[in-house]
Amino acid sequence: MSASDTLTRPLLRENPVTFHVLGICSALAITNSLNSALIMSLALTCVLVLSNASISLIRKHLPGSVRIIIQITVIASAVTIVDELLSAFLPDVARTLSVYISLIVTNCIVLGRAEACAMSQPVRKAVLDAVGNGLGFSLVLISVAVIRELFGSGSLLGYQILELVSNGGWYQPNEMMLLPPSAFFIVAGLVWLNRTWYKEQVEKPDFKPASVEVDEIYSS
Amino acid sequence: MNNDDPRKAVLVVILVALVCSFLVSASIVLLAPIKQENEMLVRGQNILSQTGWVEQTNPPDREAMLLMLEKLDSRLLDINESVFSDAFSIEEFNERRAASNPQTSHTISSEFDTAGLGRRSRYVVVHLIWSNEKQLQRIILPVYGAGMWSTLYGYIALDATDFNTVASALFYEQAETPGLGDKIEDSGWLAQWQGRKIYNTSGRVSFRVAEGRVEPGTTAAVHQVDGLTGATVTASAVTNLVQYWFGKDGYLPFLQSLNKTKLKPAGGLSESSESVISPGIVVSTGSVVSKGSVVSPGTVNSPASLNINKEDPQ
Repeated sequence: MSASDTLTRPLLRENPVTFHVLGICSALAITNSLNSALIMSLALTCVLVLSNASISLIRKHLPGSVRIIIQITVIASAVTIVDELLSAFLPDVARTLSVYISLIVTNCIVLGRAEACAMSQPVRKAVLDAVGNGLGFSLVLISVAVIRELFGSGSLLGYQILELVSNGGWYQPNEMMLLPPSAFFIVAGLVWLNRTWYKEQVEKPDFKPASVEVDEIYSS
Repeated sequence: MNNDDPRKAVLVVILVALVCSFLVSASIVLLAPIKQENEMLVRGQNILSQTGWVEQTNPPDREAMLLMLEKLDSRLLDINESVFSDAFSIEEFNERRAASNPQTSHTISSEFDTAGLGRRSRYVVVHLIWSNEKQLQRIILPVYGAGMWSTLYGYIALDATDFNTVASALFYEQAETPGLGDKIEDSGWLAQWQGRKIYNTSGRVSFRVAEGRVEPGTTAAVHQVDGLTGATVTASAVTNLVQYWFGKDGYLPFLQSLNKTKLKPAGGLSESSESVISPGIVVSTGSVVSKGSVVSPGTVNSPASLNINKEDPQ
């Protein structure tokens, strides 16, 4: 795979959220406002780059028996540092994201990329892969957040775009958009779109329902 | 060493742990001053939003804020004795820590404990706001109580003309259901509190969060704010914490004593025996408010709403 492929494949074709269906937790939890989605995307991309780079750097000395422990230690440290930086320099955003930044530790995308890429690839490629996956995750998060904030509160990044009925406008906000279930529907819609576009991603059914003749039912 | 060697596994684990813990500790230590400063500014902003000095749409910059904070007359109130105390310096006093220390806290008997606290700090920091003519304008009182998922922390500022009308209110810390209960932080909802009265004419705590919208024109309307759709538990938690903090076990005795005694502004504005500990923080020993102190007639209005001495507020 060429370098540009490593960077661009995770954007749509092998998107971590819509293809691998990883990192759903934060996609549901923090996408009710575009602002928090942007910061979350940035934080996750930083953590991915940091963890992929450092794991790839020491990959030849990681005994297989303890590799998961070490990967998690590295990821948790990267998350803590990013969390500290955010709460020092962007305290307001850090407050609204609260626990979800620390929960990046358990985001399967990070561990998934460490196992699938950083353990076997040189640093340059691991970093490219991390940036690609970070951007892929950001793409999904931002799309979901745009839909949810626009239809849930009629605004984008806090700027009112659709005038709300409560402020004398015409738009009655869809409050379901502010609740996590709406993100489920939107993410499912994106997965469906992705699979309609890339037909090869559609899995074959595991089994075929047995067909029953109507006559058989009545005769028994 | 071979990667399959168990000694190498131990070595790599120890090295990674050391490097990671060094990096994490370094980031925490290096960023601590910035974080402390942020926290201080957020706390200051919360208090200043209750003073009536700043407009919500136009928050002051850092310098202006620090200046205003210095002008603030903050005092340590001993709730149990209804007097200002100098047991602790206000800068060092931590209400949450005090609440868990048996020596500085007060067990709330279950008949009063509508806020679900169990115990509270005996001391709280209150802020007094003076007009240029040295008249007390409002008093900012901290309140907190159990919500649905979290403890709700807030301030309620009372108008000093009757110590009954809410001048402003704020909840600055909560972890209620996002999109439903967290509306208690919504500035539009909080704006409704202004002008509402805590006590009714017979002195009972009548303030409550309504179920649904407040019906204007009813006698209860002056004591109510709109309900929170889908957050009944959070809404009644707010009602309950007001019930507790302004009741007999909370600020009621203190507010009653305020009606009898004239407070003096601190910070060089009066000549009483006040000692300045640090800029802006004044611990007053001269203006102790207690139940038996001298009544200065006509200084503080005491309308019927607070003539509650004979009535049981609960």
